Amino acid sequence: MDQAHRNQAGDLRVLHHPVLGDLPESRPVQITVDGQPLLAREGETIAAALLAHGILVCRTMPGGREPRGVFCALGRCADCLMTVDGEPNVRACLTPVREGQVVWTQAGLGRWEGRAG
Amino acid sequence: MKTTGIAVIGAGPAGIAAALAASEAGAAVTLIDENPSVGGQLRWRIAPLRGLGDGLDGLPACQAVERLEERLAAADVSVLTNAVAWGLFEDGSLAVATPGGGFLLQAEKIVVATGSVDLALPFPGWTLPGVLTARAAQILLHLHRVLPGRRVAVLGEGLDAAELVTDLETAGAEVVLRAADPAQVVVSGEGRVEWVTANGDRREADAVVIALGRQPDPELALQAQVDLGYSARLGCHLPLRSALLETSRPGLYVAGEAAGAADLAESFAEGRLAGLAAAGAATERIAATQEALARARSPERSVEVDRLRRGTRDRAQVEADASAPWRSWGRAVTAEGRDNSLGRVALCRCEQVTIGEVRQSIEEGALTINDIKRRTRAGMGLCQGIFCTRAMALLLHAERGIPLSEIVPMTERPPARPIPLVSLVEIEE
Repeated sequence: MDQAHRNQAGDLRVLHHPVLGDLPESRPVQITVDGQPLLAREGETIAAALLAHGILVCRTMPGGREPRGVFCALGRCADCLMTVDGEPNVRACLTPVREGQVVWTQAGLGRWEGRAG
Repeated sequence: MKTTGIAVIGAGPAGIAAALAASEAGAAVTLIDENPSVGGQLRWRIAPLRGLGDGLDGLPACQAVERLEERLAAADVSVLTNAVAWGLFEDGSLAVATPGGGFLLQAEKIVVATGSVDLALPFPGWTLPGVLTARAAQILLHLHRVLPGRRVAVLGEGLDAAELVTDLETAGAEVVLRAADPAQVVVSGEGRVEWVTANGDRREADAVVIALGRQPDPELALQAQVDLGYSARLGCHLPLRSALLETSRPGLYVAGEAAGAADLAESFAEGRLAGLAAAGAATERIAATQEALARARSPERSVEVDRLRRGTRDRAQVEADASAPWRSWGRAVTAEGRDNSLGRVALCRCEQVTIGEVRQSIEEGALTINDIKRRTRAGMGLCQGIFCTRAMALLLHAERGIPLSEIVPMTERPPARPIPLVSLVEIEE
């Protein structure tokens, strides 16, 4: 793989960009995805952190378990719904990462865990 | 109930231009956007700006945002980000949801500048993770600095597709396949994109970008049930407007891509005109802005704007280029029996309604998009039909011969976005 696109956080990051310049330093943010630790960049969305690490699936659809991932990245299609800190149906493409955040691939409509819904 | 002089919905190029112009003309302006910061598509595009004037030309779009933010601050525009304007009601009040709670906003005038969304049409494999819209790819590449894939197929052959190919290659991805016609594309893989086949060419790929063009998204204006006219260029309906961009509902303006503007320069110029008109600026100033707008438009678009003017009787259309990607899709899909491989593809991603089920509903008597929706649930999901109603219209046209100009959008009702119930319960009146 091209060295230009490799870094510690994942190998799909664009470290050097002819128009945008070098990827600025950022504070690493530790999150947990399906029980596994994952290093994200401060300020990015959950969806971006997952994709940077080559994780494409955000949820499976009700009935049939068809996998879905980021489609519009604008909060319109709702394909990227995940369960975040116990709350289901959170749009991964709009939600910023936060230290200690617990993210699960969502099955179907999901269910509330943790705090009362 | 909060009040403002002019509410501008959408802080993309048209909305920012409208807010700045209205403020310059002395109005109290509230600019509302659902994103965490202003700029709209300028935030995630890097192509150099052209034809905007105002000291912005030549800058990569994303770098112009900072300057526009400074101007908004200097102009004393009240900017609400992370704020979703989800309803426009009969009494003229706007419902807004924010992380801090919901409220109603009463504005003397409203400018809808909500832009467009990517045009998407179903093909086998289009729901697989790794298939994404052109904007999603640009957002990942430029806002988040993440490649959507290393080997990417790009669908479409217009300006959006060309920009995407440049963006992908600039960032270091390889474009392994290009295809113009979505009806000829098959994407396959185990739980994610692995293979793309188009026109007999089969390539390994890890992402597919749908760059077929855009479709206007004037949802709040549709909620207000403004008069519409058909654009043969875009294959969809647009709000009819006066020369000053006011819709059939007095005090409600639509500007920019939400009304069919063809590029950033036109969107910016339309926003400026709508802002000045809404603020009741001096006649000379409005006339000069109208001239600038006329210069920003292509001859083809100027003809369309004239035909889609309120009160105009001649709505004869300039036909779109026959190669527009949406033209052949319906015919290609209906050329075979309902149970072919395309029949099993989801037309409505949210409610998982297949092309075959929609075709069956048409065979059983559905004559409008609302009919299909009631019979199948297609269009009732979280995306509110934004990614499936075009395909429904094309199927109605192909199966029944109904002219596209007579297939009106489905009825839009609040909320325009999914909102938490708490923002209704705690609404501040």
